[in-house]
Amino acid sequence: MAGPLNFRILHWDMSDGAHELKIVAPELLREHLGGANLAAQIAYPSLVPETDPLSPEAPLIFMAGPLTGTKGPAVGRYVVCARSPATGLWGESNCGGSFGPELRAAGLDGLVITGQAPSPVYLWIDDGEVEIRDASHLWGSHDTYETQLAVRNELGRKGARVACIGQAGEQRLRFGLILCDHGRVAGRTGMGAVMGSKRIKAIAVEGRQPLPLASPDAFNATRSETNRSLRVDTMTVSLRDLGTAGIAEYFDYLGYTPKYNFSRGIFDGVSKVSGAAMRESILSGVSTCHGCVIACGRRVKLADGVERKGPEYETLAGFGPNLGIDNLEAITHFGELCDRYGMDTISVSNTIGLAFLLFEEGLITAEDADGLDLAWGDVDVVNELIEAIILQKGIGALIGEGAASLGRHFGVEEWAAQINGLEMAYHDPRGSSGMPLVYATSPRGACHNQSDYYMVDLGQSMEEIGVDLVGMQAGVEKSPMVARHQDWRTVGNALVMCQLASVGVDVVLKLVNEATGFGYDLDELLCVGERGWNLKRAINNRLGLTASNDRLPARLMEPLSDGNTAGYVPPFEKMMAAYYSARGWDEITGRPTEERLRSLGLDAVADDLWGNEGHITGS
Amino acid sequence: MAYRFTSDEWLEAFANQLNSDAQYAEIAKKWEGDLMFDLRAEPGAGGSRTLYYMDLWHGRCRSARMIDEAVEEVPQPRFILRAPLDQFIRILKSELDPMQAMLTRRLQVSGSMGYMLRNVPVVLDFVRCAREVDTTFDMV
Repeated sequence: MAGPLNFRILHWDMSDGAHELKIVAPELLREHLGGANLAAQIAYPSLVPETDPLSPEAPLIFMAGPLTGTKGPAVGRYVVCARSPATGLWGESNCGGSFGPELRAAGLDGLVITGQAPSPVYLWIDDGEVEIRDASHLWGSHDTYETQLAVRNELGRKGARVACIGQAGEQRLRFGLILCDHGRVAGRTGMGAVMGSKRIKAIAVEGRQPLPLASPDAFNATRSETNRSLRVDTMTVSLRDLGTAGIAEYFDYLGYTPKYNFSRGIFDGVSKVSGAAMRESILSGVSTCHGCVIACGRRVKLADGVERKGPEYETLAGFGPNLGIDNLEAITHFGELCDRYGMDTISVSNTIGLAFLLFEEGLITAEDADGLDLAWGDVDVVNELIEAIILQKGIGALIGEGAASLGRHFGVEEWAAQINGLEMAYHDPRGSSGMPLVYATSPRGACHNQSDYYMVDLGQSMEEIGVDLVGMQAGVEKSPMVARHQDWRTVGNALVMCQLASVGVDVVLKLVNEATGFGYDLDELLCVGERGWNLKRAINNRLGLTASNDRLPARLMEPLSDGNTAGYVPPFEKMMAAYYSARGWDEITGRPTEERLRSLGLDAVADDLWGNEGHITGS
Repeated sequence: MAYRFTSDEWLEAFANQLNSDAQYAEIAKKWEGDLMFDLRAEPGAGGSRTLYYMDLWHGRCRSARMIDEAVEEVPQPRFILRAPLDQFIRILKSELDPMQAMLTRRLQVSGSMGYMLRNVPVVLDFVRCAREVDTTFDMV
């Protein structure tokens, strides 16, 4: 058996190119595990209200997890973290493909980037050797796919993996994302804008170093057995067959899928745009992240005969039912357009949907909309709006500021389907009672990836950690389970493990111990998740978040008048009170209590938030 | 009259229920596909295997029979639904949602999961009809 795992983090200042390799001590790694949790720990000192997210001082962190790049189940991911320019709060967004595994193969587990390059650059990490190269010829002219190709060609290394930004990131638009490989994206919270603010067009990596594993033989035996089991799992088979969008019709039936920007419960066109419809029409193949047996990625061919990425569930729901569109080819095109420009499809489609709704209600006029008729289902208008966002022209510039801003501009901020500045993903909070809590308390705004509690409500309970099936519309008894599920998913976000993999809690625990040598028991591993959740919460508290932020916009607290969830609104306030109690959070300030922080080993954070005398510091 | 699950008579009663149910006939009018339930009791409960074959077509059950694998070849229908007997009974007793069961491996599907997902109302109404059969589980 090898010794405990070390994490190798490269700190790199773009202003002068200075860089330093730092090793994360095993004790610290044991507390935070990796991924977003470790990134939060590293970023914590810098994340104060005075740090503009787009300033040179703000760190941009790429982080892998201890399983990233191994042949474990669905662990080919990495995460990008920073203060979000979209929300002003903690930002994190994880991404599949093969960039994360390649980063580890190049001898690095993470990058902490600060400063601002004098001119556009790309970074080249060649098996541990690092270099900053000019990217002026790519800036403003190359989309995300063209950039990957150009960088590989320039390096003469076809095997290099490239994570890059598009025009949105260059312009520091809040929708800006980071893309790698065949359209795998770190899409949410504007990480592409932060990368653009540092004038980094792309990061290329290639490496040949073996990955450190504490018990390689045991790990390989466990992961082989796990992958064999995962390969034939019903959900895996469904995901491989139909993609994540395969669930669209069932979600529609349950009332989970929002329609017409969360304003109606019925849209007749779902069966025309679902994963099954895609397979029967334009599907030409599947794609997969590093070493993953699921292969949920879609390859499709449109009328031009060119094979391209097909939409996953969120893109399909966002540009489909959310906008009243039942045209699969158009949805595919919008997804590709956003990918090429480097924009988050959830935020773009959500905000366009709000514009359509406001237009329908007469709050946006044709004059406001530059003469466009913002009619549900009009694919040409959607195309024009996406282009207008990138050009920052007219109504496009307003949409580009996000849903909260658009709503505020027209006097109806409470109509915006967003929380704390992040547009809501496509799981209607009136579909089941867990998601409202998930959305309202997520450290990065209205996000479905900090806990996919809708899957618990579909039957994916986790009795080992006390997450039982209690009914889709259960009340306060669900609140502590939501907290436990978030803690477990925060472990997953530290491992940077894909949520789509149906892998049992006991198996994950075994794999983690065999990879790290840390010898966790389940309670300690869950505590890692709870620590990460509370650390991110404390960061947000320090950045100004209070208990008053833990809410849904008023429009989403009103029941739908039609569809399968008509008339239902979750008992949100009672559930939130129970959630606070389960979390050990202070109901006045919204902060984790001093006792809870200290019990999690976050003493320095407790001192910062509560002061040595136990009093609240700051506002 | 109550029919004992997993008897021949229960399957016949279920088929009759499907064929007399106007709602099922309407909802399932486009369904095309035969299926077989492959239900296994736990070793402690005898470990027996029940094979129910049903030919479902445009809102009707054209035939239904219990397969005796000792004397006939097991059919290869469009769908095979495998489950431990106790989990299937939970579905019949309305303790477990059939779609939940499918998506969480309690009920394993061989055949196109996509077809199932495209026909959720049919699946749910099919199960509703099964639940309406007057059933006794006392021999299981």
